[in-house]
Amino acid sequence: MRRLPVILLLFAALPAQAQEKKPLRWGTDPTGGAPYIYVDDKSPDKKYIGFEVELAEYLAKKLGRDSAMVDGDWANLPKQLDKPADVEKGLDIVLNGYELRKDLLAEYAATRPYYVYRLVLISNQETAKDKELRGWADLFPNPATPVKTVGVLGGSAAYKHMKKTYPEGVNLQSNPDVANVFKLVQDRRMDATVQDNPAASYFLKNEKGLVAIGEPVKPGFYVIYYRKDDKELGAALDKAIAEGLRDGTLPKIYKKYGLWNEDQERLWYWLEQPWPPEDVEEDEDVDDDGQAVNPWPRLFRELLGAAGITVLLAVVSFPLAMLVGLLVAVGRVYGPFWLGVPLGIYVEVIRGTPLLLQLFMIYYLIPELMFQTEFGAFVWLAQNLTPFVAGVLGLALNYSAYEAENYRAGLLAIPKGQMEAALALGMTRATSIRRIVVPQAVRLVIPPVTNDFIALFKDTSACSIILVVELTRKYNELYNFNRSLIVELAFVTAGLYLLMSYPLSIVANRLERRLNAPTGGR
Amino acid sequence: MIQITNLVKYHGAHRVLDGATATFRAGELTALVGPSGGGKSTLLRCINGLETFHEGQIQIGDDLVLMGTGGKPFDPRMLLSIRRKVGMVFQQFNLFPHMSAQENVMAGPVHALGKSRAEAAETAKKLLARVGLSEKLDARPGNLSGGQQQRVAIARALAVNPTVILFDEPTSALDPSMAGEVLAVMRDLAKSGQTMIVVTHDMDLALQANSVLTMRAGQVLPERLA
Repeated sequence: MRRLPVILLLFAALPAQAQEKKPLRWGTDPTGGAPYIYVDDKSPDKKYIGFEVELAEYLAKKLGRDSAMVDGDWANLPKQLDKPADVEKGLDIVLNGYELRKDLLAEYAATRPYYVYRLVLISNQETAKDKELRGWADLFPNPATPVKTVGVLGGSAAYKHMKKTYPEGVNLQSNPDVANVFKLVQDRRMDATVQDNPAASYFLKNEKGLVAIGEPVKPGFYVIYYRKDDKELGAALDKAIAEGLRDGTLPKIYKKYGLWNEDQERLWYWLEQPWPPEDVEEDEDVDDDGQAVNPWPRLFRELLGAAGITVLLAVVSFPLAMLVGLLVAVGRVYGPFWLGVPLGIYVEVIRGTPLLLQLFMIYYLIPELMFQTEFGAFVWLAQNLTPFVAGVLGLALNYSAYEAENYRAGLLAIPKGQMEAALALGMTRATSIRRIVVPQAVRLVIPPVTNDFIALFKDTSACSIILVVELTRKYNELYNFNRSLIVELAFVTAGLYLLMSYPLSIVANRLERRLNAPTGGR
Repeated sequence: MIQITNLVKYHGAHRVLDGATATFRAGELTALVGPSGGGKSTLLRCINGLETFHEGQIQIGDDLVLMGTGGKPFDPRMLLSIRRKVGMVFQQFNLFPHMSAQENVMAGPVHALGKSRAEAAETAKKLLARVGLSEKLDARPGNLSGGQQQRVAIARALAVNPTVILFDEPTSALDPSMAGEVLAVMRDLAKSGQTMIVVTHDMDLALQANSVLTMRAGQVLPERLA
């Protein structure tokens, strides 16, 4: 009898559930996403606006569902479709300026296009003048002009287009955040960027000093991706897009954001054609006859090149970290009180903040402050701070705090008698520290220091957020366009890391054994 | 000659040196004996400034005077000039473990006196021969016996040509046969007229001394033995 009310309740709830449909969960990346999706600074509750926000709300309304925004990292949004829609970060659709792409069509289904975009080349007015950048043609290799640095959104059609069309002559840098790339161009730290026209026109309008160069090129479609088995949802979305175009709702949204142009006329044509079209552009691994070629030689070549950058980052930054760490440790152990306190704070602050944040500070925030000083040397430094140098500085800074603690432990472990014996011979305090105490302390902590080198080696991957194309960044770039090889690529990348760090472990073990031997190590 | 006058040193409230006064004559081996905790090692370590003292003064030779500072550090330039005249040998040897025997002996001439490595290496060879360790030039301290280590330590102290060498219980970490090796070296030094001050409990060593001073409760007793 006790169960009866529960059963009654269930019956009562069922029809209500059927009527009230689940919200339409649409995936987007709101970081730096104007005019697709961005925070409205004028609204009191700082809500998201953007032409895609309005599009999503329109579609949800048409489907009789609520619109629920789900955020994610742009390049990984399609991956979020692999999970069920109703889990944490699960999606029904990906709606965020995603292009119609063959590799994505292999795994997901796409709606009819909702927007026709073009690629726009944008530079700084002064950069364009100084570097004679007047059009797309100036990006081709030219011995008379320096190589141009061009930023693109990682995993985007722009990235793919640039890589294919300008394999040489352009230093292509991919970044997950569009706003940061524009900032770099504006500050003349990057020569140009290639962006889809919605982003381009938004930033051209709202930021100073930027200029569009040449004509917009390479039209393409923005589509909505959904799961292949959600056929019903796909049909409903296609219908809603068609209706929205025909009754003027979509054009109205685009006009509101200044995105309307003649290209959009094609959308109506494509409502009548078979979809998706047969001739979606092939990816890079086909030969001239359209025959597929083995992609692995190219993938390996690219991964190995990136692994070289990883090694370079590690071997340049770690000696710096050791040197700074040693100086900090000596200052703390043997320096006067007024030096010990700030050094202690240095260690705690650096150790207590994330490496990612430090890299971001060094590459983006500090140059920004230097620009604001308008002091010649600072501005020059800020303009010439390359991602690699910033990466080396960030890693060295971060690890110097850990090495300082290693060396401090080493210095404190050296018996007092060593210092006394050196002083009694008539050495100065500084000489005693340098010649007698430090060499012993350094030997003593070789094992933990080597251990940190292995850790740093893997932490180089953090530099990917500041445009350094090291191994992890390269892996991210590659899998975006080789989604069928995603697992293999992951294993190869992990294997490369292991291949490089394992020999270091062996060296560390050897050193440790030698130092623990009764004769003592040299 | 080293003249110590009314030396006073505190460890907190404890008066470790309580007006110690003593004279150490040049060219002699002077032993400083007495019960543990009497202040022998502290007095010795005051002579080359490894310990500070509060009151009194130490005169070394004619021109060097170290004055009590109330416990504050001494002037580093003063300390350097004193330490270049006063060598020291420790109970625990305190050899530099990352250097060979020869490099240990070279450390003073090269890093304190600024001599060339070649010159220092020659001196080191001669001194190691003098303490009977010609065979052990390249051995590291970890591979030497206690007696051998202490002989290297004596050679190391001699290498900077000090006018006086302080020995802080040089044989008490050694078994009797090794102590004998060290004793032989010290006897040889005494014969050549090296001024030495030795803190020791070792009666064999005290018997070698030209004179013996006794310390008790932070004071040097007035009687001079032998």
